[in-house]
Amino acid sequence: MTNINLSFAALTAEDKSVTIGSQPSLVSALTGVQSTLSKKILITDDALFMRVILRNFLVSNGYEIVAEASNGREAVEKYASCKPDLVFMDITMPEMDGIAATRAIKQHDPAANVIMCTAMGQKNMVMEAIQAGAKDFIVKPFNQDRVLESIQKVIG
Amino acid sequence: MKAEYINPFVQASFSVLEMVLGNRPSQGALAVQPSTFASEQCNVVCGITGQVQGQVIYGMSLMTADKIASTMLGQSIKTFDALAASALGELGNMISGNAMQMLSELGWECDITPPTVMRGSNVKITTIAVPAIVIPLKLEQGDLFITVGLQGRK
Repeated sequence: MTNINLSFAALTAEDKSVTIGSQPSLVSALTGVQSTLSKKILITDDALFMRVILRNFLVSNGYEIVAEASNGREAVEKYASCKPDLVFMDITMPEMDGIAATRAIKQHDPAANVIMCTAMGQKNMVMEAIQAGAKDFIVKPFNQDRVLESIQKVIG
Repeated sequence: MKAEYINPFVQASFSVLEMVLGNRPSQGALAVQPSTFASEQCNVVCGITGQVQGQVIYGMSLMTADKIASTMLGQSIKTFDALAASALGELGNMISGNAMQMLSELGWECDITPPTVMRGSNVKITTIAVPAIVIPLKLEQGDLFITVGLQGRK
């Protein structure tokens, strides 16, 4: 009885895992699905277009978008209220930029997971983002595989 | 204006446009833009600050703007709404941002300001700082004119 239940669970697990682009073993498939289903993401970008594209892409890959923010200040507020597992952060934004917002979020929660997603990829920008506490840096226009790979790396 | 400021925008526009719109543009001859010129029907204006400063204007017809936004959104747009404007703004932002990386590699550290999208005909634009250079590009979606007006900070 136990055996039947387990293999059934493994099957559905594997099914859903496929959508995130990996082919995990039986054990990691089980844990993988649970973590994917519960992974909550906060998208921060001043461009509506970017928020829509990222949301559609991430939702279609099994992630939950708990909130969207259109500037750094909003991101800091929404981070505190939504407690996401991961934040996608643009840098150039009005009111508060993504670097300052990342610093503020890390101050509030040192374990926060932030991935920078910006059009500017110059070295000093990457350095500043990493020093502020970002765990990865993606240059727009982004490659979809690169985004999924980055999420896997940062929140598994 | 130094030619070194132009090349990053040429290179960035080719790589970004090819990736985002799925077709490689062809480039016409660079030309000097008079400091006052009649704008295209739709313009995305991006400010550049830092060791090199000024602005970059991405100009196109309304029809080209509709086609570019439709390609970026993956569906034909019915009205040019906030989402379509945002798509065009983001295109300008991505080209400018990528050009910043190349300018940085040449030794100029700069930053960009969030883009502004303007629509309307019969608008005269005056770039006060310097005469600008136009990069004319032909895309499947139509013509795109990138006006680059930059100068080194004194």
